[in-house]
Amino acid sequence: MKNKDELLYTKEHIWISEENGRAWIGITDFAQKSLGELVFVDLPDIDDVILEGETFGTAESVKAVSDLFMPVDGTVVAVNEEASQDPEIVNQDAFTAWLIEISVTDQLQLSGLMSAEEYQLFINGDQ
Amino acid sequence: MIYDIAIIGAGPAGYTAAISAAKEGYQVALIEGDQLGGTCLNWGCIPTKTYYKNADFLKNLRSADVFGVSLQNFSFSLDEARKRKDEVVAQLKKGVAQLIEAHNITYINGQASFLSPSLLQVHGVETRQVQAKNIIIATGSKSRKLTISGADHSAILDSQSILELSELPQDLLIIGGGVIGIEFASIFNYFGSNVHVVEFMPDILLNEDREIVKRFLPLLKKQGVKVSLSAEVTDILPVENGFVVTIKNKKGQLETIEVSHVLQAAGRVANSSGLDIEKAGVEQNKGMITVDQNYMTTANAVFAIGDVNGISMLAHAASHQAIKVVEHIKNPDKKSKHGVIPSCTFSFPEISSVGLTEEQAIEKGINYKKNKFLFVANGKSLSLGNKDGFVKVITDQNHVILGVHILGPHASDLIHEAVLAVDQGLKVEDIADMIHAHPTLSEAFHEATAGIIGKAIHQI
Repeated sequence: MKNKDELLYTKEHIWISEENGRAWIGITDFAQKSLGELVFVDLPDIDDVILEGETFGTAESVKAVSDLFMPVDGTVVAVNEEASQDPEIVNQDAFTAWLIEISVTDQLQLSGLMSAEEYQLFINGDQ
Repeated sequence: MIYDIAIIGAGPAGYTAAISAAKEGYQVALIEGDQLGGTCLNWGCIPTKTYYKNADFLKNLRSADVFGVSLQNFSFSLDEARKRKDEVVAQLKKGVAQLIEAHNITYINGQASFLSPSLLQVHGVETRQVQAKNIIIATGSKSRKLTISGADHSAILDSQSILELSELPQDLLIIGGGVIGIEFASIFNYFGSNVHVVEFMPDILLNEDREIVKRFLPLLKKQGVKVSLSAEVTDILPVENGFVVTIKNKKGQLETIEVSHVLQAAGRVANSSGLDIEKAGVEQNKGMITVDQNYMTTANAVFAIGDVNGISMLAHAASHQAIKVVEHIKNPDKKSKHGVIPSCTFSFPEISSVGLTEEQAIEKGINYKKNKFLFVANGKSLSLGNKDGFVKVITDQNHVILGVHILGPHASDLIHEAVLAVDQGLKVEDIADMIHAHPTLSEAFHEATAGIIGKAIHQI
């Protein structure tokens, strides 16, 4: 997987790491910090086809429940069982604790996402 | 002699009916073909909860370091656990026997069958006839036998035979992810077996609120239990040290796995075989005896209570029906109130519920409100070493409490305040205004309820 500077980001605080049509998806460190200690992440089933902007799961912390929005269209090929069984690993390192792995339907959609730099500017404005 | 009431089956339905009727001054005969106490006491609730305690003890030993205790090593003997279980069962059975005797109930050991709606033939040590003005059928249920190829092999366990094992199974493949399957999975996993639950449906514990199950499943997996959903066992082949089991997985592919033991836990079916109910004019539907709201069958003065009528497969529902039937015999014109039925699953952590699930509220078109309070925000829960689970409360728009679902420590004990609330139609404000002692797990119910009207203190 790529390091956080090479990832792509959404306004919904999701990161995506794409290589040759396969992509790993997780929540950003900013999202992790805002949510606080995660107690549960609900992830989709393998083979689910989820479109950009649809929810692929929820993350629940002691403070709030948050929907997780798909950054691009894709088919779920794997879910991180470790994260669903022990959500605290997302708090420990949000950029290595991926949540789902997908097969990307349309790689062109990736060009609409933010770079690390753009995302940083976005959250600075957000705060 | 003509008895006022003859009861067939001495499980929680039958013996409760017998004692309740004797207290009303009736002459009672209680007929049992097997063991006093029925499935609940001998092969169900009581033995499994005794094993649950053993599993809980092992769970605590495994996390001893969390509590500052260092253990070099420890071992577990299923045979010793079985002996303790047998002692608990024997003690309770003795207690029930004393109650039967103290109430001057005629206890007859033998298989009963109907000769007419008021006459029974009982085959015991000797064959005798029992005549009664009222007859109550309380013959319970038995494990559902699967029709899978190889499932009739004698070494395949059911919820009864698994309790007689004296050596720990290396593997335990459980067919069925209902309450029975999940309880055995939780228990034998902490005993040290490799447990794999195979469930035909897309989810486990189908009667529970989906949100509870969604939270519970990752916890069960984290404990080490393997769970296959939407998966079907298609063949069980006996081999030298166990079985080769063929499973059709979610994608329709066939997988084979070799395991030492297989447990069938695919539900229970009413047990009315051998009763010759047709001679009494008692009708059944899909194996369950048809009853009206007073638990009377299609034959006058013949009643059916407990698992055999298919209304509920829970012991406490059975004993409640027993009391209601005796009330009806005493006073046929009085309308009786049927209580709400709580249910408990002894997993880690426990699961309990009463009233409507969120799915049922949606199905009924109720404009509901809901709130959850997490045990991670409850001081007592944390002090016990538990961060998992929550209390979920469902109300209508007028704040009347319709359903409560608990995943967490001592959920089976905590549910009863919710049973009171749902049974009595209490409102959120009734609970919110009640002082709950601190620090207790019960505060989680208080907070979950108060949160409906935005008055939970430890919730954002």
